[in-house]
Amino acid sequence: MEKLNKLPKIYLTAVFIILYAPIFYLIFYSFNSGGGMSNFESFTLEHYAAVFEDTRLLVILINTIIVALLSALISTAIGVLGAIAILFMRNKAMRNAVLSLNNILIVSPDVIIGASFLILFTMIGVKLGFASVLISHIAFSIPIVVIMVLPKLQEMSPTLIDAALDLGATKRDVLTRVIIPFIKPGILAGFFLALTYSLDDFAVTFFVTGNGFSTLSVEIYSMARAGITLTINALSGLIFLITVVLVIGYYMISRKAKSPLAGVRK
Amino acid sequence: MKDILRGAAIILIVSAILLFVNAKLNEGGGSAGKNSITVYNWGEYIDPDLLKQFTKETGIKVIYETFDSNEGMMGKIEQGGTAYDITMPSEYMIEMMKEKDLLLPIDYSKVPNVKNIDPYFLDLPFDPSNQYSLPYFWGTVGIAYNPTLLEGQTFERWDDLWDPSLTQDVILVDSARETIGMGLNSLGFSLNSTDVDQLRQATDKLKALSPNVKAVIGDEVTPLMINGEAAVSLTWSGQAADMMYENEDIDYVVPEEGSNLWFDNMVIPRTSKNIDGAHAFINFMLDAEVAAQNADYVGYSTPNLAALDLMDPEVTQDERFYPNEETRSHLEVYRNLGLEMLGVYNELFLEFKMDMK
Repeated sequence: MEKLNKLPKIYLTAVFIILYAPIFYLIFYSFNSGGGMSNFESFTLEHYAAVFEDTRLLVILINTIIVALLSALISTAIGVLGAIAILFMRNKAMRNAVLSLNNILIVSPDVIIGASFLILFTMIGVKLGFASVLISHIAFSIPIVVIMVLPKLQEMSPTLIDAALDLGATKRDVLTRVIIPFIKPGILAGFFLALTYSLDDFAVTFFVTGNGFSTLSVEIYSMARAGITLTINALSGLIFLITVVLVIGYYMISRKAKSPLAGVRK
Repeated sequence: MKDILRGAAIILIVSAILLFVNAKLNEGGGSAGKNSITVYNWGEYIDPDLLKQFTKETGIKVIYETFDSNEGMMGKIEQGGTAYDITMPSEYMIEMMKEKDLLLPIDYSKVPNVKNIDPYFLDLPFDPSNQYSLPYFWGTVGIAYNPTLLEGQTFERWDDLWDPSLTQDVILVDSARETIGMGLNSLGFSLNSTDVDQLRQATDKLKALSPNVKAVIGDEVTPLMINGEAAVSLTWSGQAADMMYENEDIDYVVPEEGSNLWFDNMVIPRTSKNIDGAHAFINFMLDAEVAAQNADYVGYSTPNLAALDLMDPEVTQDERFYPNEETRSHLEVYRNLGLEMLGVYNELFLEFKMDMK
């Protein structure tokens, strides 16, 4: 890569400062022993202690993580199969139609998706709670996974599959030993994107939570009505930390996933 | 493929462990069996220790969930699919919920502690003879101000806001009923006026205030007042209490021309699955000691007479939050004016906002 000269570097730094400053400002004041966000008195961890003392908040935090993990996992499985099905569709018009339907779901506002889920769940009598949140998160994550996986599939040469079949691979072998290893980076990217979407989703979740089940974003929204307390700052700090860990985890895994392929190419 | 399956297995195991931890945490109040109630309350509106105490005393587990607006809360209940046993709507919302048949009547044989409530707060027009609701907290609408920013100026009447020295100092709340209501009150009209002529006068009077208005905003006013960036604001007493807690300079007054008296009330929605448990909860919250502890934690005014004796006299004798008979007689509770009249209020409020420079 060409070396960056000065101006782009300054620009880049400025953009990152603008993007990260509010987050760090928030986290900075989570260590403030004074009550508010206006003047920093002295360092304290009491707001973090308050988060861990509040079992309700902890339960909600864990709920959020469980929903994110499970919905990302299930939607990845469904999304990958869906992407493969789209790739192998013979009828081009049909393929484009399915793909467009998929994309519409990504573009359509969360509020509409959330409201329609609420109506659906209450109509068929699903009790609002863990199941309703999980199902809706899976549903809005699937199109994202499809979009992440499909380019990888299209990148794959069809001759690869023909070669495998010629060499006596069964259809099952082709799927598990040729296609899936090839698109693994796409699968990982889809999984992590679905994970982050689920973690921070507010609009859809807002509609389908109920009966004491809640996720962090919805809970923070209700809490913020009574004024932002520093507990929310501490909580946000923790979530930021989890996100950073996730990104690092993704980086490690995708590096590991890439290396064997690189070996093959050599 | 293998490592993908392994990854999936790890995720499943982690989720299972987390589910287990959650179940353990949920048990953490020493509760017994399936006997539980779901309470749907405003955010930060109860002392969490009281929920534990309730579970300890009655064996009923409390599942607690919060909402941020009356409308959102009613939507969830009306739509179904939920099983809330207790919720805390404001008074005008109770009228609407009653109309939609979303509430269950309270069985007073199970709520002996109702004797603790100040009769002044019972049998009000929004729920005659308290068939469906009992008051949880109450408050007023008034003026919060910071005298240090105003050369010691004080406020007693709504009209004081029109003082020419306050140019660009006053913050109003972005809510039609409160702001138009202030105009009506300052002219001596009822807050529930449906007389178009009176409403017109009130709007015209508000327009005359516009040189003094700095902004028309929502809850953001609290930090602005605390940080001394704003000097005068139209606020609810609860919000004013928050401001005064953070910034000792701030003072609050209920103007003498009259003002709004608001309530958040405990009700049992029709969706309740544990009606006995809900009654037990209401009775528990009305207990003098419990109510006192809760009021101390939340900082709003309690309607519980017996609790007042147990609280810090400095708080209960503070006429800003527990106004005397004389002030009280000028206070008015909002009535549900119907959609059409609400439209008129909103339109006039919009007209006022558009008129501002």
